[in-house]
Order: sequence, then C-alpha cells, then structure tokens
Amino acid sequence: MKRTGKGMACMWYPIGFTVMANPSAAIVKVNTDGTATLLTGTVETGQGALTVLGQIAAETLGIGTDDVHVVSADTDTTPMDTGAIASRTTYVTGNAIVRAAEVARQLLFEAAAPLLNVKPDQLEARDRKIQVLGFPSRSLPIANVALYAESTVGRPALGSASYNPPTVDMDPETGQGKPFNTYVYATQIAEVEVDDETGEVEIKKIVAVHDCGQPINPMLVEGQIEGGISMGVGYALQEEILFDDTGKQINPNLTNYIMPTALDMPEIHVELVDNYDPTGPHGAKGVGEPTAVPTAAAIMNAIFDAVGVRITTLPATAERVMAAINEKNAQSA
Amino acid sequence: MLVELKVNGEKRSADVPPETTLLKFLREYLDLTGAKLGCDVGDCGTCTVIVDGLSVNSCLMLAVKATGSNVTTIEGLANNSELHPLQKTFEDLGALQCGFCGTGMLMSAKQLLDDNSDPTDFEIRDALAGNLCRCTGYTKIIAAIKDAAKILRA
Amino acid sequence: MATKPTKDVIDQKVGIQDTDNSLTGALRVKEDHPVIYPLSLPENDERQATPAVGQSATRSDARLHGLGQTQYIDDIKFPNMIYAKVLRSERAHAKIVSIDVSEAEAMPGVYATVTGKEFPTNSFGPTLQDQPVLADTVVRHFGDGVAAVAAVSEQVAQEALKKIKVVYEDLPVVLDPEEAFKDEILIHGPKSNTYASKVIKKGDVKKALAKADHVFTNRYKTQFVEHVPIEPHASIALWDGNGRVTLWSSLGRITLGREDISRTLDIPQSKVRMIGTIVGGNFGGKNEITNEPILALLSKKTGRPVKCTYTRGDEFVSSTIRHPFIMDYTTGINNDGKIVARKIRMLLDGGAYCSWTGTTIGKGSILAAGPYNIDNLQVESFAVYTNKTTTGAMRGFGAPQVCFAYESQMDEMAHALGIDPLTIRLKNTFREGSLSPTSQTLHSVVVEESLLQASEAFGWNRG
Repeated sequence: MKRTGKGMACMWYPIGFTVMANPSAAIVKVNTDGTATLLTGTVETGQGALTVLGQIAAETLGIGTDDVHVVSADTDTTPMDTGAIASRTTYVTGNAIVRAAEVARQLLFEAAAPLLNVKPDQLEARDRKIQVLGFPSRSLPIANVALYAESTVGRPALGSASYNPPTVDMDPETGQGKPFNTYVYATQIAEVEVDDETGEVEIKKIVAVHDCGQPINPMLVEGQIEGGISMGVGYALQEEILFDDTGKQINPNLTNYIMPTALDMPEIHVELVDNYDPTGPHGAKGVGEPTAVPTAAAIMNAIFDAVGVRITTLPATAERVMAAINEKNAQSA
Repeated sequence: MLVELKVNGEKRSADVPPETTLLKFLREYLDLTGAKLGCDVGDCGTCTVIVDGLSVNSCLMLAVKATGSNVTTIEGLANNSELHPLQKTFEDLGALQCGFCGTGMLMSAKQLLDDNSDPTDFEIRDALAGNLCRCTGYTKIIAAIKDAAKILRA
Repeated sequence: MATKPTKDVIDQKVGIQDTDNSLTGALRVKEDHPVIYPLSLPENDERQATPAVGQSATRSDARLHGLGQTQYIDDIKFPNMIYAKVLRSERAHAKIVSIDVSEAEAMPGVYATVTGKEFPTNSFGPTLQDQPVLADTVVRHFGDGVAAVAAVSEQVAQEALKKIKVVYEDLPVVLDPEEAFKDEILIHGPKSNTYASKVIKKGDVKKALAKADHVFTNRYKTQFVEHVPIEPHASIALWDGNGRVTLWSSLGRITLGREDISRTLDIPQSKVRMIGTIVGGNFGGKNEITNEPILALLSKKTGRPVKCTYTRGDEFVSSTIRHPFIMDYTTGINNDGKIVARKIRMLLDGGAYCSWTGTTIGKGSILAAGPYNIDNLQVESFAVYTNKTTTGAMRGFGAPQVCFAYESQMDEMAHALGIDPLTIRLKNTFREGSLSPTSQTLHSVVVEESLLQASEAFGWNRG
C-alpha cells in the first residue's frame, strides 16, 4: 500500500573559496552611443553567468541588459578570473564588475558635471541618463556623455577592477577563522509516496525556499534551483557508481547509471527569501551549488514520515527501502 | 556508400563509409552540428532528429538506412522568417541552460506537438523521457512546451 | 508545420537584383533553400528595461541554443585537424615497467604519439600536484591515462591504441577507505594514504556531552556519483608556427588552465592562449584539466590542430566523481530540543589523486554541524587515497553529504523527543550575528525565514 510522508531539511552554504584568495577581474568599456562591452575571464557553463554579469554591469551604468555585450573566456583578451567554481561568479566576479563599471561611470560623471553645472559626486546613472541626484530633470542621455567624454574631453569611459572576498585564515589546531565572506541559506520540503510492498519512492512535490540575496535574474535563479533539485533527487534515490573488487566500474554508462528523467521529477514550487546582502553586487550572493544540498535529506526525512524507516546509506533505492521496511516489520513482530 | 536524402526540405548527399551513423553523417558530412553527440549509444537523446515524421536517436541509425527519407533537424525548425513557437517559448521561459540537450529536446517536443496538439503534463514528460537534461530539472522545458502547444492551437 | 515558408516568401529567379533593402519587406529566398537564421527576431522587454537588476531577462545565449547554433567545442573544426585518443589503464594499481609506442607510430594514418615522460612537468592538481598528465611510473586507478595517439580519424586513433604495448607489474589494490586508512598498502608511497585532514574545535565537547539529557550517535554514508554533464569533456589544441599554443577547452577555469599548460609544458604564459566556449554543463567535473597538455604536445609534434572528446565511458571512469563520506555524528541534546554539543568524525574516499579534495574536506568540515548554534563542537575529518577514480569537485563540495547527515539526525532526535521537525530546527538555527563553527560572526542570516516560508508554502502545519 502507498503511504505518504513529508520531510524537511535546511542548510547553509558559503560563497567563494575557503580562505584562499580567489580574485576575479573585469573590464567595462562604455561605447560612444551609451551601450557597453564587458570583458570577463569567467566561463559560461550553463548557469547563466554571462546574462547575470551583463545585468550587473548594466545596473551600475544605468542602462539595460541588452545594451551590454559580454565577452568572456579568452586569456588573450579577457582579464583573469579564478573560475566558475564554488558558486562564486555572481558574488566575486559580480563585485569586480561593479567596481570596474564604477570607474567607467566616474569618468562619465566627470565629463558630465561641468555640462550640468554640478559636481561629479552629485550625479547618478539611471534609465540611460546621467542625472543630478535629487533633481533628475537636469540630465543628459548617457550616449551624449559617453561621446563627449571620448571625443571632446579625450578621456574614454572605461574601467577595470578586481575583487577578492576578505577572509581570515583558519587556525590549524582549532579551525577557528573566517573562511568566507558570506553564506546562503535554504529549506526544502519534500512530499513522497512510498509503496510499502516494493520500497519504491515517488516524489509528489518539493517546495524550495532559497536565499540568494537580491536575485539579479529571478527566472535564472529558479532554473538553477529546479536543476539542483533534480541532482538532489538522483542523489537521494537513484545514482550510484559501483566498483567491482578489482577497482573497475561496473556501470560507466547511462543505461545502468540511473539519473532523473522528465518522468522522475515532481512538481517543484520555488520561492526566494526576501534578502539583500550589502557585501554583494547590488545585494546579490549566489545560488549554484546550494540548490542541490538539502534535497536528499528532505526526501529521507519524508520516507521516515511515510513508512517509519530511517535510510542512513544513500541512495535510497527500492531494494534498500524494502529491506529496511522488512527489518522493521521483523523487529516489531 | 552514397547516401541521398532530404534534410530540412533540401536534397543532400554524401559518400560515406557504410558504418557511418546518421548523427555523424549530419555533423561531419553535412556540417549540421545542431544534433549533438552525448553518449553515442542512444541513452541521452542529444542526437534526436525527426526521420519521416518520427523522432529517432540518430546515433543509433545508420546513415544508409535513412536513404530516401525526409529528415528534419534543429536547423530546419525555424522557417525563413520566424522562430518556431517552441523556440520562442523556450527562449522566453528560460527553458534551456547550457543548451546541450536543447536541440534533441526541441525535436522530441516538435514530434509530440505534431501528433498531439494538447498534451497533458504526463504525456509531455513521457515524450521527453529519452532526452536527459542535467541543468534544468525539466520544469521550464515542460512549461515552455505547454505554452507552445497553446500558440499552435490558436 | 514550422518548416514551411510563410506567405511572405517570394520565389526569386537567380540573378534578379533586390532593390528593397528592408528586412521585413521582400524576403528573397528559394523555398527549398533555408536561410541560416530567421530574419524577424522577437525582442524581450526585460532585456531592454532599466533598472537591470531584478529583471527576468532572457539569456543572451538562449536564441542560439534554440536555433542549434551555439558552438560547443565538438562543433568546431579546423582545416587539417586530426584526432587524439588516450590509452587508459585497465588495472587499478600497477607499476609501469615499459611503454612501447613504436608499432602504433608506424601505423598508416597515425601522426604522433606522446607519453608522460615527454612533459617537462608531468603533474598537476589544485592543492597537491600529485596527478600526472599521463602516468609514467605507476597507474593508480582503472582509467588512468598512460599514452596518447594523434591520427587522421578517431577510428584510426582508437585502432592505434591497441598497438601500444604497456608492460605492467601488478601492485596490491586497496579499494575500501577504512582499509586504506590503515596504511598497509600505500598508493602514493612513502606518503601515508591519509593525505588531507581538517579539525574544527570549540568549547568542551566531552564535558558538554556528559551533561546533556540525551546523546544520539548515528552513522551516515553516501555514495559515488558522477556529474553527467550532457556535453562530454572536449578540447582542441593548435600549436602555431610562432610557437604559440591556443587551446579551446570545456574547462571551467581558463586563467588557471593557462597556468597549468605553461607549467606542464614549461612555456611562458604569454605563449599560451586558452579559450572557453559555452560549456555544456560542468557541475565541478570540468574544473580540472584533463587532455589539454596532451593535445598541446601532440599539436606541437604534428603541426596540426588536434581534437579530443571524452566518450561517455571516459566521463565516468576518467573524469572526477563525488567523494563518498562516512560520517559519525554524536550529538548531545536536552529535553527541550536544544543541541548542546556535537562531535563529528568523517572519512572521505579520496580516490587515486587529490584533485579538489582539499576544498571538499575543508568545506565539508566547516558546514558539518549544520546551520545551528552549537557552543561545544569537534569535527575531525580525513581523506584517504584509494585505487579508484579520482574524487574531485562536485556541486556542493561536501555539503550534500553533511546535510544528509545533520538533517537526518535532526529528525531522529525530533522523533525521539516528540518534538515537531520544524520546532526543533527553529530552536537551534543561526540568527543574524550568530557565531559559526569557526567563530565567524554571520551576517545576512535567513535560515529561520527560509524554514518558516517553506513551511507556509508547503502547508507543513496543516494536518
């Protein structure tokens, strides 16, 4: 008979490398029509980095995402980047981009200030304009300022910068220190149905609430969470590389290494915690890895709620769950 | 062996070794690199194309077996002036992330919608069961297919 | 239905000039001759809007993904390009007595071979540089590369591998991490098999456990899993006439990749260019070089661009996989559900080479106690070599493993004490300003908010 259960798991996860320096650098160039180019050494591996980093540059310059062309991943032309690792791209590369864009923006402010009859520190960049803080009707289109800066003033609006999260090394005896500059938090809750005659677990629904600071692109954050959950589902119930006693893998192929297909994935409800991290680029933190962290635990807790068995070795295949149910029945008999 | 067939409405041909798969034929002889090589044994679906109206794993089909057939690949999904509704909804909903499973996913989806104009959630998942994705969890892919079906029904 | 042209399309006789330049006007194409891209392209409002942050802008690569025009490494080809294959060990632990590539080199269609001793520095790794580009003295796992061949096609290269003669002397194999911990069979001798460890300590765990109302002791174990990026690892190397090498690679960190090439081949970084294209999934498995130095040297020897892609089998056997953890949690908790002490011991199966174990053991240990205020804490972790596929970086670096342990035990304790799983967590979670296990003051803490928001959305308290 099929039994329903619910289980929750919460987690915390750091952004960036553990103590070690992991800088990223960025170059932002404003074109004479107010569009811009961003050069970043990071690599797009599917997570949407190039889109999000473009949005961060655009935000700092007060222009739209589509106005920024992102060039990436060429050691001849793009500045160094420690890499698309440890969920660090939005936060570390993003912070480098904010700083680089601010350098470029400052050149625009210095060019525009005399034209607007104010000091550079009275200006802001918004809605494709350089405008006066507190008096936005006095403004110039960013295109005009960029052209003026380059071809009249002779100081083109470009900027470069790097960023590295500040850490404190960990004591070798006690591990005490400050290994990361920020962390993210999340909770996932799973509803499962366990067939107590076969041990098969079906996931009916997962609710995921994640913190990523200010989401730069909510649609892409959701996509990361949904994808991470699919890895968590596989980790919980299906995936396992098996070795024989000579050290050879038994199932190095996708026929026998079982991972989630469209039929294995449940309804997923995603929400983000309303948050803003002042140490992050425009309040953002990161989300890439945290998404796959609590899923297996939530599912195991739900299995316990459904059939009263505690799986302590992953994955919770039907065989393992059935064996646990049989053992529990034998003990209570 | 000479293989002659129609790809995306165009007559194409090439002389290939007899063991050449349809996937290799498309990618290396016709320069149609949209279909991808993910496993070469029909497990992952990245090589999915449509042959005479049916979606197939082109890595499992010999090119010579496709002689005389009508093959549709991702390169033939959009028409000359606009994107296919699937391509539009996939883009709007952020259905693809790394994109590597995308071309196969889109061809499986196209075949589904060609045959079933109002698929249920289960029917969509079932049609995609042979297309593995590691990035997306399939959620937005399914939503995009539903939206495209709506557009096509209108 | 989408492959048929619309009513707008006008047949054109070859040679007639089109005087109308507008894109949406006369689209002059032949019906059976598709254009490379459709000419009427929709725009996304969120990409135009300001402010940019917070917009659900469509991805900048979504259009080309949908059209099948994104160029991944395997889609790239160059004139005169040749293909490489790597011969991989079919033993888990053996001394290499000799490698004879002469028969392979003599095969028609084979351009060059390469073995480990040809690399000026035959080692790499993000913390310990204990992994060879190609093994030249010992193979330490089934799938460890020993030689490579570049040939006119993949088939010829594959055939040529069979002609390479490697003489091995078998060494005893150790597969179980608890066995490996005993150091009876050494994998990187004379070093101990325990190649990484971490300790985190604060307060007085022994005293606090003795005073706790209840002590729970549980063991949790996790398994080997693979990233399964849908795109297999791929790279192309081109060593040009100026002595400069360009690499196109699916590597997730090209700055450091360039350093690796510079070091293994002993050439200045200014002579190395590394280009990353759009990668078809990484998840940590593409954070380490694989074939890049091999292809660079093969390109140097042949004067041709050389490409190599991993097969799906290679992905499992010869790229990194996730560390299995054996985790022992001893937790002291009072009747009201407040955790007063936690002692954790973890053993990581560290595979044949170090790779990203340093980061995994570090993060795993820091996160192991969970997002909970625990004043008395001790975490001791060890990673050991075993003769299995290298364990490396995989989405979470130890976090999924420890979360499985700490959240499972949390529910065990909740059940035993008769406390609701939500309530027990709320009793212990970090708040703004809490101290972490390493005594760092935490800011932007929202674990409690995430618990409450998720419970509300799920309907946790409804029946």
